[in-house]
Amino acid sequence: MLKATKKRFDIKITQANSTVSDTFELDKNIVKVHGVLVTSDKDDLLYYRGTQKIEINKEEFFPENYESKLLMSGINVAPKQRYYDLGGVAPGNGRVQITYKDLDDGRTAFVPYRVSLYLDCEMEDEL
Amino acid sequence: MMKEGVIITKINIKRQGERKHFQIKLPNDTKYIIGIEYGGRLVSKADTKATDALPHAIAKSEVATVETPYVKAEYVEVKEKGRTFFKRNQLVGELKLQSSEESNWFYAADVFLNDSNIGLGDFSQSGFPVNDFTHGNKRTEEIVKVDAESTIIQGWYLDAIGKAQKTDINYEVTIYVWINVEE
Repeated sequence: MLKATKKRFDIKITQANSTVSDTFELDKNIVKVHGVLVTSDKDDLLYYRGTQKIEINKEEFFPENYESKLLMSGINVAPKQRYYDLGGVAPGNGRVQITYKDLDDGRTAFVPYRVSLYLDCEMEDEL
Repeated sequence: MMKEGVIITKINIKRQGERKHFQIKLPNDTKYIIGIEYGGRLVSKADTKATDALPHAIAKSEVATVETPYVKAEYVEVKEKGRTFFKRNQLVGELKLQSSEESNWFYAADVFLNDSNIGLGDFSQSGFPVNDFTHGNKRTEEIVKVDAESTIIQGWYLDAIGKAQKTDINYEVTIYVWINVEE
């Protein structure tokens, strides 16, 4: 039986104007990735300073310099509609890579922050 | 099979009233342009109204309790201290795009960075200020459908914020062109 599940992966941004890249592995029983969402413990920094590239199974879904604000949803958005719809991507080797770039913006002062990548997935109940 | 992709182009604006002509090159296998989005980033720290934080509390109200001699009931009077005004969004510039295949612009937009009235109607005063990054809506591209056989888009951008404030503001406008690619 298939069931919905959410996955969260975190990266830490400790230096201003730096690029942080990390690869995460999805569970083997995940069969589809339906949506993607990014959040942070300091939303304003993510909103104004962040851009990222996201790859799933080495396929690029969001290219370099894609602004994080375009993948964020505020609390005014209904919880079921917050994820950016990818349309049910097969995870292949299950590797998800995020390359996050922090860039100065005149409206914010840098402090270390966390970026969380959420994936809305569908998994098989039993292997 | 058709696949979606996005082409990102950055325009850097440095002078007030700057007008920029640019081209966006699309991959050769592009079939259609299906959507346009834009974003922006302030590069230099200039003291402009656009960089101010969004207004937190728009209207403050005061609650007064008055006891009348006839009826032992509470009469609650709500006085509005500040008048609530609808704020004008700060216009940053004008963006227009034209395909090489057809005459006239296929996309024209006034570029705004923030919604200045996002906190309007929030009477909770709960200490959780309303901002774009906490209360903003999910962003989606504006849907267009344009043939992309010539694979070149002509673009035009005119600065408005620098001109309005009579100062040089250095900022970037990022244009996202969503395309359909044949695999």
